Amino acid sequence: MREELLEQARTAVDMAKQAGADDAVVGVSRGRSIDFAWREGKLEKVQEDTSRGLGLNLYVDGRFSRHSTNDLDPDRLRPFIAEAVALTRLLEVDPFRKITDPKLYEGRQDIDLDLVDASLVNLTREVRTQWCQELADAASAHDDVISATSGVANAHGVSARVSSNGFEGASEGSSVWYGSEVTVSDGPTKRPEAWWWVGGSHLEGLPSPKETGAEALRRVLARRGATKAPSSKTTMVVDPEAGASLMGRIFGAMSAGAIQQKRSYLADQLGKSITSDVLTLTDDPFRPRMGASRLWDGEGIATKKRTVIEGGVLKTFYVDTYYGRKLGWEPTTGSPSNIVFEGGKGDLASMLGDVGEGLYVNSWLGGNANMTTGDFSFGLRGHVIRDGALAEPISEMNVTGNYAELLQKLVRVGDDPVPWSTFRTPTLVFEGIQFSGA
Amino acid sequence: MASTTHPYYDWFGVDEAMLSKVLSEALGRGADYADLYFEHSRSGSLTLEDGIISRASSAVDRGVGIRVVVGDQTGYAYSEDLDLPSMLKAARTAATIAQVSTDEVPPQTLTQRGHADLYSIDRNWEDVGVAEKLPLLQQTEAFVRAIEPGLEKVTVAWADSDDRVLIATSDGRVIADRRPMSRLWCSVAASKDGEVQTGSSNVAGRHGIDWYTDERLKTMCQEAVDRTMILFEARRPPAGELPVVLDAGASGILLHEAVGHGMEADFNRKGTSIYSTMIGETVAPECVTIVDSALHPFERGALNIDDEGNPTERTVLVENGVMRTYLHDRISAKHYGVESTGSGRRESFRHVPMPRMRCTYMESGEHDRDEIIESVKLGIVAETFTNGQVQIGAGDFTFYIKNGWLIEDGKVTAPIKDCNIIGNGPAALKDISMVASDMKLDTGGWTCGKEGQRVPVSQGMPTVLVNKLTVGGVDA
Repeated sequence: MREELLEQARTAVDMAKQAGADDAVVGVSRGRSIDFAWREGKLEKVQEDTSRGLGLNLYVDGRFSRHSTNDLDPDRLRPFIAEAVALTRLLEVDPFRKITDPKLYEGRQDIDLDLVDASLVNLTREVRTQWCQELADAASAHDDVISATSGVANAHGVSARVSSNGFEGASEGSSVWYGSEVTVSDGPTKRPEAWWWVGGSHLEGLPSPKETGAEALRRVLARRGATKAPSSKTTMVVDPEAGASLMGRIFGAMSAGAIQQKRSYLADQLGKSITSDVLTLTDDPFRPRMGASRLWDGEGIATKKRTVIEGGVLKTFYVDTYYGRKLGWEPTTGSPSNIVFEGGKGDLASMLGDVGEGLYVNSWLGGNANMTTGDFSFGLRGHVIRDGALAEPISEMNVTGNYAELLQKLVRVGDDPVPWSTFRTPTLVFEGIQFSGA
Repeated sequence: MASTTHPYYDWFGVDEAMLSKVLSEALGRGADYADLYFEHSRSGSLTLEDGIISRASSAVDRGVGIRVVVGDQTGYAYSEDLDLPSMLKAARTAATIAQVSTDEVPPQTLTQRGHADLYSIDRNWEDVGVAEKLPLLQQTEAFVRAIEPGLEKVTVAWADSDDRVLIATSDGRVIADRRPMSRLWCSVAASKDGEVQTGSSNVAGRHGIDWYTDERLKTMCQEAVDRTMILFEARRPPAGELPVVLDAGASGILLHEAVGHGMEADFNRKGTSIYSTMIGETVAPECVTIVDSALHPFERGALNIDDEGNPTERTVLVENGVMRTYLHDRISAKHYGVESTGSGRRESFRHVPMPRMRCTYMESGEHDRDEIIESVKLGIVAETFTNGQVQIGAGDFTFYIKNGWLIEDGKVTAPIKDCNIIGNGPAALKDISMVASDMKLDTGGWTCGKEGQRVPVSQGMPTVLVNKLTVGGVDA
């Protein structure tokens, strides 16, 4: 399969060259996925997909464009590519746009990332149905459950990338996810919901469907009776999942594109302290079995393990070749892979004990951040922390501030990331955070 | 008399006999209903950055989605190959949802249907070359630079698409639609004393190229500049519960989140919406009438037919404060024993349809804007937005204010920025106290996400006062 896709990509590169392109990069992919959804004791939805696609980057007379199609019939692909080349000629010359320097392809690691779980091939309809039932039984095991929808989804994909200046690579990956979404009654009108899904490239090591359904139920029951706490400035404990979306935002401000376009509050912060000294982050593309692992990035650059933040100091930016050239910076890689929080200690229970009083956030509701200035404001749900333990649930509250200040208020980093997560945030503790409520 | 040809039959390389065969195969294991959704989409984009049009893209996407329905159960598969064997294979896969053979429902004779005409444009986007689009971007940059010569960065982005859709159903309908879409977007970065601020504006709809007049471009550019430059003066509002004046236009995001999603019938059929038991109840003051309509010509949410081939309509969700009608697709309409409201939508042939909003807005009331502002002692005006979300069951909704104003003693006193607003749907509806007579639909390009599917929508609002929402601010 890999060789077949590589050959398809090579053919398309040739078509582009024949149509007059100076350079071309082609990606070809094929995928298959199966989704089961289960509700009220029966299958609610079964969906089976087989998909394919071809993406093409063209460099023509100093001009650049990007194209995609799912119609790979050679009789239609050839004119599609010819038309794409003609379109590119109508654009303006961009002196910064060049195909990736082949030197950056060098040094590709020869590591087996182990991204395919062969056992998933044998996932029969019966097994999927049984998992759905086990999820549903555990998720519905309470009288106040109004609705529980459970699901099992798995996919397998192969992709190949070929460039006209010597890059070739093919990769393959599998994934499996399952979980439940549960709604319960809460007083006369409120019907809080919560979900819990687990998954990754391999089945091995995931909690069982029964445990997963039970966790979804536990999460929604904990939300009942939520109220708005008073506005206050207090300690904020953020759970690993909520922490991933909170911390993930700063990576947008680390991209060369954001910096060159004046959309990053971190633009002049390389080598400076951007968080308190408890934070050290590594970008590790080589972790086996993690979906974000890779040997080359989206431009074909051979990947490396990098320290992103060390003791609070920003050590690198995400620099692709285009914005690197605009800024006069050496390219690193355009986007993050697996992000590892190093050197943390403790889990939620131990941290709550140490914190004593404050607010615990386990999910965000809307909100946004302006990464030009670092200003943010997010809706949240969670619990009051009292006497070192979780107390009543809270909702309809906002947390508001600025990332530059927030990250300096980070005082504790745990060592309890969600095992299958690629952005591996553990429990985090921030001091003196502004909450808006009643 | 039914016609046996259709322009789109040639386009997709099918004929009536093939459609009937595939529908028969889909019903082969016993099912209530099956439909085929053929889609061919051509789209393109252009970006002007640092003074040159440095990026372009084009895409072709085509395929057929085959759906088999048994009660409220759905089997779905799609094929990117449109030959008969590939389609039959996908039909067999979708048919596996029917495990027990029920009474056989044979496919009915196909009859072509007509529909409304809400977005005919002089020239389809497929026929407009890149050379004609480039000046729009260059002109936009020139306008914005003329308004504010000192800007650090100006980015102009363009996107258009031309979709052909052909739907054939086992109850005998064949119906087609051609759907144009376009959008122009301008974003700027400005700096002042070392501080940088960014802002943007955009215009969008199912419009042709002639709609993008110089005047419209200039208005958009002025908005982008004004929204950005005001940020240098803007501060964060006070934290806590405050009266919120929703400005006419984009504030419809409140209706979309606080009301619209909860009125989508799939959530109510499953009992997961806070509005599940509220039809016929008074949920808001009499001045509140909320509508979701597909019939506003050229809006992003305009639809001649929905993605199940049903006729579309103007659906009244809340009439003079009383909750009236959910938004239905075929499955929910059957469940509730009502007609579909033409709200079954999907992102593409790769997705199953479900009840979705189209163009959601509140009808005008009797007050005027100044009167509303004057009535507020301490509060905020919400003007532009970048994000919204809702918890369907708990009813909590949020929207993020990018630009707004502080009101002190009945007067607008200072600009505010970057704060999230959170409230509870039913509580916020009851807390609406004044509605102005200035309803307008927002011309910006809104996209709604639900269960992983994105569809274009529109929204609108008159100026409205909500007595109390939680404002994400500072210094409690």
